[in-house]
Amino acid sequence: MPPSIHPVHLVTVLRQKSLTPAIVFLTSRRSCDEALQAFEHAPDSLPPARQESITAVLDELTASYPSLQDHPLRKTVTTCGVAAHHAGHLPSWKIAIEELMRRGCLDAVFATTTLAAGVDFPARTVVLTQSGVRRDQDFTDLTIAEVAQISGRAGRRGKDSVGFAIVTPSPYMDLGVLIRGLTGRPEPVDSQFIIAYPMILNLLKAHPLDHIQSILAKSFAQYQMNAQAAHLEHRIEKLHAKLESYKPRECSDWLTQWSAYDQATRQTAMKLHARRHHPPEVRARLPYLTPGRVVAFPRFRGIVLRRYRSRGQRHEMVTVLRTGGVVAESPVADIMGVIDRTFDFAPAPAFPWAAPEALSWLTQQLEDLPKHLPFLTVPPAPDEGEGELVKSLGDLFPCPTCPCRPTCAKEFKAGNTVKQEWLHHTRTVQSLRTGLWHKFQERAEILQDLGYLDAAFKLTADGEWARLIRIDFSLLITELIRAQAFKDVTPATLAGLMACIAYENDRPDSFPRITGALASLVATARRMTEALAPYDDPPLLRADVGGLAERWVGDTTVTWAQLCRTTSMAEGDIYRLLSRTLEYLSQVHSLQATHPDLATVAAEALSRIRRGVLEELP
Amino acid sequence: MTRDELERALANLPFRLLRRLGRSIAGPPALRMGKRRLMHTIMAGAEANIARVEATIRTHQAEQQALAAVPASGGGASSEHKPGKPADLRALLEGIGVPEPRPFVPDDWQMEAVEALERGDVIVSVPTGSGKTYVAVEATRRAMHEDRTVVYTSPLKALSNTKYTEFCKIFGPEFVGIITGDRRDNPTAPILIMTTEILRNLLYDAAGGEIDVRLDTLGLVIIDESQFLGDSERGVVWEETIIFCPSQARLLLLSASIGNPHELAAWLTSIRPTPCHLVRHQHRSVPLRAGYLHPNGKLTPLFRTVTMPPSPSQAVLHPEAKRLFTMFEEDTLYTRRSG
Ligand SMILES: Nc1ncnc2c1ncn2[C@@H]1O[C@H](COP(=O)(O)OP(=O)(O)OP(=O)(O)O)[C@@H](O)[C@H]1O
Ligand SMILES: [Mg+2]
Repeated sequence: MPPSIHPVHLVTVLRQKSLTPAIVFLTSRRSCDEALQAFEHAPDSLPPARQESITAVLDELTASYPSLQDHPLRKTVTTCGVAAHHAGHLPSWKIAIEELMRRGCLDAVFATTTLAAGVDFPARTVVLTQSGVRRDQDFTDLTIAEVAQISGRAGRRGKDSVGFAIVTPSPYMDLGVLIRGLTGRPEPVDSQFIIAYPMILNLLKAHPLDHIQSILAKSFAQYQMNAQAAHLEHRIEKLHAKLESYKPRECSDWLTQWSAYDQATRQTAMKLHARRHHPPEVRARLPYLTPGRVVAFPRFRGIVLRRYRSRGQRHEMVTVLRTGGVVAESPVADIMGVIDRTFDFAPAPAFPWAAPEALSWLTQQLEDLPKHLPFLTVPPAPDEGEGELVKSLGDLFPCPTCPCRPTCAKEFKAGNTVKQEWLHHTRTVQSLRTGLWHKFQERAEILQDLGYLDAAFKLTADGEWARLIRIDFSLLITELIRAQAFKDVTPATLAGLMACIAYENDRPDSFPRITGALASLVATARRMTEALAPYDDPPLLRADVGGLAERWVGDTTVTWAQLCRTTSMAEGDIYRLLSRTLEYLSQVHSLQATHPDLATVAAEALSRIRRGVLEELP
Repeated sequence: MTRDELERALANLPFRLLRRLGRSIAGPPALRMGKRRLMHTIMAGAEANIARVEATIRTHQAEQQALAAVPASGGGASSEHKPGKPADLRALLEGIGVPEPRPFVPDDWQMEAVEALERGDVIVSVPTGSGKTYVAVEATRRAMHEDRTVVYTSPLKALSNTKYTEFCKIFGPEFVGIITGDRRDNPTAPILIMTTEILRNLLYDAAGGEIDVRLDTLGLVIIDESQFLGDSERGVVWEETIIFCPSQARLLLLSASIGNPHELAAWLTSIRPTPCHLVRHQHRSVPLRAGYLHPNGKLTPLFRTVTMPPSPSQAVLHPEAKRLFTMFEEDTLYTRRSG
């Protein structure tokens, strides 16, 4: 059995059960195309009457959209009554499919989830074959709102008495996601307010800086943050009441006092722990184990070269020089006794921890030592603890004599938790209330540094025209204009660069070569994005896509079909690229007043782009 | 019942009932038997237990008849006799087809929305395909009567184009214009279709001091698919449009699927001169049912109930759908491992 149902089989079943017309949602454009290809060899074809009605609708539409005339999918659509609909197709083709669907001529359309939003494209049945969707290279679960949009396509008012959402499994499908989507409440819409540079320029064009905060306060972002802040303030009030019981006592600031003490304790705790790890007699020896000290191990004697503790180890270690010049490492606990003899030598910072001549001298000394030597009597170390620590904190910690001390010691932990929470919330509330405004100021200062705003946050001459560029990467474009990057640019090269900036897709495709002029302009733009990197996210700036726009604008005899042949990019993507380029160019064109030459070049590029397929559409 | 009749009746029993019968005759070992052996066992012990066997068969048949009595249209579906639960499938597909044509009568919520616009801003949050366009068209008509400009915005060029065609048909092409990033037709018409970005830009210009008659006479701004406010890249444009929308104009926000329309309405009320009225319901005008289609072509209901469960916690899978999906998962796991 194949992992998921075969498209032809699927449509057969849907027809059998009168579940057509249906929209089948698939993961990728490719799977839509493959599904359609599967029908090319399907044995069944539509009854002639239905084929004729499809042909009639297509012919009717061809009058307004000539590109439908020789569309390669026309035959499959007409004979099988199924179609694919995705972003790789030209808008005119998508319009045709939508119209066929509206008139009830098709049985099934294979579509990607991009169809789900907004297009008026209903059917009796929707078929869900996946629970995830590709989003910026990632594969994420469909949201409840998305499943609702998809399943909402099912059941046409006036044409169906019931609509159907049919789930058919495919590998990696998570049924739970679909069940939640079909039955759950859609996610709330949350503000995605960002402060973009054009927004700043346009706001400051119309309002003085001191009005801005009240304008930002009207945003949904601020509304939602206020609600959050109000919620936190409620909590803060409660915490405040709780803090009452930890108010000043003998001294006003005992919580801080004790938290300093607590921190110090925690810092020393590690050391203390290590030291406690050794039995008292070993601990008592530690101060004597200085470099040059002679010590006795059960079977040999040695001279201490250094004392250390390796990372993550609790045991103190010594490096000792043994008879015969051997340098060895051993734990201090192995030392049997400290001998009352030391040698002065020059220690070295690395292995073997002593200068070579010192080492041979020490080796000699060790061998020359008398056989019997008395051990030093070392009294066992007293138990170290809080007492010593408190002493070491000295004046910082006056509490030992305070009458409140026992209560404070008992309550400090709980009090401090409350106080920390209170502090944390207070800070959060502050940033919720003023964050947007601070962000605005921060970005306005960047525009000030770049020279679009003057010292009083009014638009400079550059700011006045720069505010007319209201697209993504506006800063890059205005900076390029200021840097004279478009001096003597041709319409084709300008269109090429705008295409590079506008194109946000990183689908791997192959493209025609680009001209030197465009290549050097893209290089300039790239250097500019690097310079602007601290202020703005860089565009992809794929030089290769620019080549397409450049070619289309540069040579008006190039036909759409020829253009498509020079790249592996899908028709729909080329169309979108050029129409985005149009948008960007028309923004440049709006600079007539200040940059007449550039605006003229943009106008020329605009008129050259609008031909063939790009003219046929609204 | 003859032995033959009995055998045929048994073959038609669901496995669950067969097993129960088998168990009452042969005890726990019956739980491990397949269908064929179960039938064999039951037939062998049938004489001694005839009352119980016949009672089971009769109750089952009565249940089946009761279900079949529900009229099932839709051709092929009802004649299906596959093992499993044909009755449930019939219930799933019941009533499929084209409803009787009915004269157009606006729904109550549609009238409510249109009327509420006389008093203030309106948010409409109703399921997909309910008829939000009617509200938009009716409100446009009223604004036209008062000689006011109407702007309709949508997030997608494709949708703008569809709406342009639709509005041209209703109001006449001379009254409708369209402005998108790369297209501009009849841009001084009293009804303007545009993308939200374009409207935002017009509002920027007006705030910057440029005189635009269209905005001075602006009476209604329709924002379709307003859930785009939450779009991570473009959502900010929706917010700006709403914040900068001239106070004399009414806002009409249309959207399906949002979780917090109340919050949006409260926000609008807090920043706009008139209170915002929320029109909201979750009733689908065409009921929706869910099915599960196995790769082998077998269709079963997805949920135990024919209607959509009201919440995920009440969503219980149909046992057959559950069984088939588990089987699918095991199969694909196996092929994935071996492949
Ligand atoms: N009161 C009504 N009675 C019968 N049919 C109606 C009624 N109102 C609208 N319709 C029909 O319902 C269909 C869907 O309407 P419409 O496109 O306005 O839905 P929508 O709510 O905008 O959906 P979407 O969320 O997809 O945008 C249309 O064909 C319309 O004619
Ligand atoms: Mg709609």
